[in-house]
Amino acid sequence: MGILFTRMFSSVFGNKEARILVLGLDNAGKTTILYRLQMGEVVSTIPTIGFNVETVQYNNIKFQVWDLGGQTSIRPYWRCYFPNTQAVIYVVDSSDTDRIGVAKEEFHAILEEEELKGAMVLIFANKQDLPGALDDAAVTEALELHKIKSRQWAIFKTCAVKGEGLFEGLDWLSNTLKSGSG
Amino acid sequence: MKPSVVCLTLTFIQNHSISPWYTWRDRKGEDRLDHSLSLSRSSQLQGKIKVTKKEVMFSLMQGLWSYMFSKTEFHVLILGIDKAGKTTFLEKLKTIYSISEGLPHDRIVPTVGLNIGRIEVSNAKIVFWDLGGQPGLRSIWEKYYEEAHALIYLIDAACPSRFEDSKSALEKALRHEDLQGAPLLILANKQDLTNAVSAEELDRYLDLKKLDERVYMFEAVSGYDGRGIKESIEWLVGVMERSKRTETLRARAGYNPVPTS
Repeated sequence: MGILFTRMFSSVFGNKEARILVLGLDNAGKTTILYRLQMGEVVSTIPTIGFNVETVQYNNIKFQVWDLGGQTSIRPYWRCYFPNTQAVIYVVDSSDTDRIGVAKEEFHAILEEEELKGAMVLIFANKQDLPGALDDAAVTEALELHKIKSRQWAIFKTCAVKGEGLFEGLDWLSNTLKSGSG
Repeated sequence: MKPSVVCLTLTFIQNHSISPWYTWRDRKGEDRLDHSLSLSRSSQLQGKIKVTKKEVMFSLMQGLWSYMFSKTEFHVLILGIDKAGKTTFLEKLKTIYSISEGLPHDRIVPTVGLNIGRIEVSNAKIVFWDLGGQPGLRSIWEKYYEEAHALIYLIDAACPSRFEDSKSALEKALRHEDLQGAPLLILANKQDLTNAVSAEELDRYLDLKKLDERVYMFEAVSGYDGRGIKESIEWLVGVMERSKRTETLRARAGYNPVPTS
């Protein structure tokens, strides 16, 4: 009964909860993005082994954001977190042109996952402040985003250390989550 | 009977979900309840098959059902330069044709990627692909041409200063061989604004060459108040159902299905 009431309350006042996974290769900036979103400041990070999880309240939506470690050896564990995920934020180090091919492979492998079929996809072309960083169109091309035809996606140029582009991305997420189409 | 034989029979009965006589005798009420449950579930399944063609068919009956009631799925690209009103148009489409309310127009931000809208009109399912129109993002348009049944091109009819940009982007798209034979619907959008030009004026202004062999139409619409949208979509469904391109795409999909993620 209590649950029913909270459901009704939240549907009336638009408070939704969404489970978001932040994925990407190691050193893409996932943890920095998570804490920039949550606390609004840059924290010094070490490579994540395991995960960080925080709740970010934005636009009446409570985002439960999971930041999973991106090193090759622990990428197979990502799939343990896939069920019940509404959206994936895929973070790419735009200046790391050597590994963008690997980033593409991993990205399309994630999209193949049955448990993520309904999840919408947001791409952060991160580290735009670094010299030689690819812009959004170039990252779109490199990740072959055009192969996604049955779900919504969007790409944003971000710079996690300056906080640029991150909340534009969350705006898109909250709008798309509210319109209920993925 | 040996115990192993009994055991085997029991597993057989369980695996083939035959209603065993002993449960019938022992818990009559419950068993009957189970039956009605499974019946209602199978009718739900049939309903599902009507919607998604890819469902695995379990029986001939269901196969026949889906054969008789399945709908053709069309892919329609919505293109146009930035600020033409593509996403607003798409959200209005959703509001008009589906149960879910589209986004209100003040919440729409420039698209940097792909928006998808699914609607059902009469006997057709349409999937709309709305792509971002900013100059840097137009390079991905052509990646979607091959699978598109038709093209909707939106133009902000109240902004003559950008007609030239619109025209060149459209001509570039039409020259692409992957869009060959695709029906084209050109929409003079933003008719709610007083200075918007009419569809005829836009046609004259764009003065598109080489459109003769393509099925096309100009229509005045407003993604804001919705005028002209129903007529446009009706026309589009009609021409897509008759178009040769639809046949070609269907044949190609039948022989070598393209995996999409």
